[in-house]
Amino acid sequence: MGEDDDTPFSAADTLKLIEEQRSTTARSLTPDPRLLYWPWGIAWLIGFGLLFLRYGPDNRILVDMPAWLPLSTLYALMIVAFVVSGVAGARVARHVSGASSITGALYGWTWFLGFGGFSALAIRLSPHLSNEWTGLLWGAGSVGVVGLMYLNGGAIWRTRDLFTLGLWITAINIAGIIAGPGWHSLVISLGAGASMIITGTMAHLKPGRWF
Amino acid sequence: MDELDPVIHAQARLRVVAALSTLREGDQLAFPRLQEILGMTAGNLSVHLRKLEDAGYVSVVKTHSGRTPTTLLCLSRRGRFAFDEYTAAVRALLDGPQ
Repeated sequence: MGEDDDTPFSAADTLKLIEEQRSTTARSLTPDPRLLYWPWGIAWLIGFGLLFLRYGPDNRILVDMPAWLPLSTLYALMIVAFVVSGVAGARVARHVSGASSITGALYGWTWFLGFGGFSALAIRLSPHLSNEWTGLLWGAGSVGVVGLMYLNGGAIWRTRDLFTLGLWITAINIAGIIAGPGWHSLVISLGAGASMIITGTMAHLKPGRWF
Repeated sequence: MDELDPVIHAQARLRVVAALSTLREGDQLAFPRLQEILGMTAGNLSVHLRKLEDAGYVSVVKTHSGRTPTTLLCLSRRGRFAFDEYTAAVRALLDGPQ
């Protein structure tokens, strides 16, 4: 039967072989979800956590620290997250060419442009806002961009789970904005930060359903 | 009972086709990557790809990435169809005659 071995043909084994080969291949050609999601989860958990502690609800200081520390930490961690997830996504795309590569590259550029556009506005407005509102502007704005990118990603690749993640992030971002500075940070730190870590873990344990 | 497609029905070639079937329509995979994923030697993989190409199941495109020559691979439409047929036939055997 098969040229390469002398074992008798088994339909069940053959189907299993096909499934395994497909799954191994798909996994090799997909970025490690832990690298895509954990860095963001950590950035938000810690960054927004600090923001919440220093600029709590009703302007309360829960834990004193320098005024610049929370946002700077948040942004430093987010830049790391951006680079790590970006590289992880790009690395895998290297060996596949065709329509996917173009989509992937454009999507990658959209991240840059999205953050660029938002940052330009935030930089312009910040000097006119007090610290707590500056925190909300940068915090809610960046989270908004990420949520939007996941919604777009879900639409482009028709991945329900990615779209749902984007939906969740967008929804809690809006809820936090309405609740105001202080509460927004708490909601994002726990609601979104933890979700990202969970997402990365689940996607790693159950490949195939995600991304 | 239908004969199982002899081109695909060989473990090594089945693996090649199964691996390539995961690519989206319009995408191609570079030879070294496919080799890595399958764990075959370059020579061995080339032989199997040649047979699949002769049957019209795989497209082999030799191109350049900058100055490095690259070989890009994907299943042809006919190859995808043949793989679907093969899988369906095997599944039918599993379900057995009624």
